[in-house]
Amino acid sequence: MTMIQCQNLTKIYTKGMGEIRPLDGLDLEVHSGQFLALMGPSGSGKTTLLNLIAGIDLPTSGSLIIDGQDVSTLSRHQLAEWRSQYIGYIFQLYNLVPVLTAYENVELPLLLHPMTRRQRQERVAASLELVGIADRHDHYPRQLSGGQEQRVAIARAIVTDPKIIVADEPTGDLDKPSAHNVMELLQKINRELGTTMIMVTHDPGTSRYAQKTLHLDKGQLVTLDDQEAPA
Amino acid sequence: MIAPRFVPFVLKQVIRHPLRTILTVGGVATAMFLFVAVQAMQRGVHAATVEEAEDTTLVVYREDRFCPFTSRLPQYYMDQIERIDGVRTVTPMKVVVNNCRTSLDVVTFRGVHVASFIEQHASQLRVIDGSTAQWEHRSDAALLGETLARRRGLNVGDRFDAAGVTSYVAGIVQSTEPQVENAAYVHLDFLQQATDRTLGIVTQFNVKVNEPSQLDAVAAAIDDLFHTAEAPTTTRSEKAFVSHVATDMIELIESTRWLGYGCLAAVLALVGNAIVLSAQDRIKEHAILQTLGYKGGLIGRLIISEAIVVTLMGGTVGSTVAMTIIHWTRLSMSADGLSIPIEANPFLFLVGLLIAAALGIVAGLVPAWQAMRRPIAHCFRAL
Repeated sequence: MTMIQCQNLTKIYTKGMGEIRPLDGLDLEVHSGQFLALMGPSGSGKTTLLNLIAGIDLPTSGSLIIDGQDVSTLSRHQLAEWRSQYIGYIFQLYNLVPVLTAYENVELPLLLHPMTRRQRQERVAASLELVGIADRHDHYPRQLSGGQEQRVAIARAIVTDPKIIVADEPTGDLDKPSAHNVMELLQKINRELGTTMIMVTHDPGTSRYAQKTLHLDKGQLVTLDDQEAPA
Repeated sequence: MIAPRFVPFVLKQVIRHPLRTILTVGGVATAMFLFVAVQAMQRGVHAATVEEAEDTTLVVYREDRFCPFTSRLPQYYMDQIERIDGVRTVTPMKVVVNNCRTSLDVVTFRGVHVASFIEQHASQLRVIDGSTAQWEHRSDAALLGETLARRRGLNVGDRFDAAGVTSYVAGIVQSTEPQVENAAYVHLDFLQQATDRTLGIVTQFNVKVNEPSQLDAVAAAIDDLFHTAEAPTTTRSEKAFVSHVATDMIELIESTRWLGYGCLAAVLALVGNAIVLSAQDRIKEHAILQTLGYKGGLIGRLIISEAIVVTLMGGTVGSTVAMTIIHWTRLSMSADGLSIPIEANPFLFLVGLLIAAALGIVAGLVPAWQAMRRPIAHCFRAL
């Protein structure tokens, strides 16, 4: 089943008198439950594509159909609501709210959903347990290591049970052992929860955890590699 | 404004930025303290000078005189005033003050006929200590308004000396009338002998009329009666008399309203600045919230809520301190024997909080609007 379908997807930014085309007529199809890595040099359009799929930016032209809905036609207001239901976002620099504990950071997206405090507690506890950081639930981000912060960010991304998780260089700021642990965790989530996963990375080692790697250059698809992910 | 489940998030933002919060709350508290103090003075002027529909008291004073030492009226006027149509009672009063200048601690002696004073004011007075019987039976006894007694630390049984008059505290009373609350009532003849040793001369007559609608007619009749007498009179309603005699002091107090408005402007600027800086510091945080699905409107409301919490905290601290000081010091501004109380009541406290909350909303509007309008992608690119 197709989860993401891009047709002739184009994004143009104007800068002064000129224009920049980070995405230029991209066609792409991602199936439900697939783990896709996006690679390419800086300025190739990886993060732009990720942001369009995550609904935090809108294409200039072309269509972007996610789970049967053309998100390019949604208003800012509708996009925010759509994001809260469909998307979990993992940032390179974790982007946790510094004055909130790990528990409170993970609870943040749930505040948008109609559920009781008890239901929220159960969901947060389950997410922290899944990422293996339940014992640090009352720690503030400054009291956690980079790997632990990223685990909290992953718990925040999965707590609403989104259909798609987008990750922008999730291991870019981590040492090798931590990066390995985080990638194993993302792979586990992809396999156990069946969540579609789109990840931007510069590291070929990291991209091997994905089922497919998409190479972009100058806003266009260069190659699409199928691979067997490490066990 | 925001759903209850977001309230803890707002409170955490306030509490977990302690330095920023303490400094902002401190500034707001200081400004709101001044605002409430100024409003308390304004309310005192209002209470002492604004006439109400049920007012029935006139004050007869010596024409063209404004000071109790120069207003000298023959006591025998009383009989003639009593015969005027519409007059219910007449109270001759000798007024002696320990300080003719405007001051925060003036002792005003009011010499009255004790029996008729009790009869006329029984319904407006509440004896909280001592008794009127003791006041009636002892010639040097004084009945003190509660405000004066508290300010001077006087209790029943004490002797106190002011303006060359030594009297014995026989009772302490509460009254809704500011002039009663700030005076020491003594026997008329005692005060006459204790001061100028002249019987038969009073400072003023307090005249009660039967109906409020008769005030103007009775006042005109009294002044007509003594127009050609040895001591012509000017008669006004009690509130008009206060506002006329204490004009200079009232003008000064009323001019302090600009100080109050200045305090509000200071709160607005202070909180506005704090929230703008806070919102700018947290562009990334707002972008994260938007990425999680928070709508721009909700983020704007969260920012405004934070501003309201900060101003309410400052408003509560400032107003509470001001109310406490005003309540315990019981200060009143006096001139020429008339008192303008500095009044603070729960309504003023509530007004202080409402204004603080309103300022929070106004101060948060611009940063909230900016945060609402900022596209997520721009926020991340800006970092």
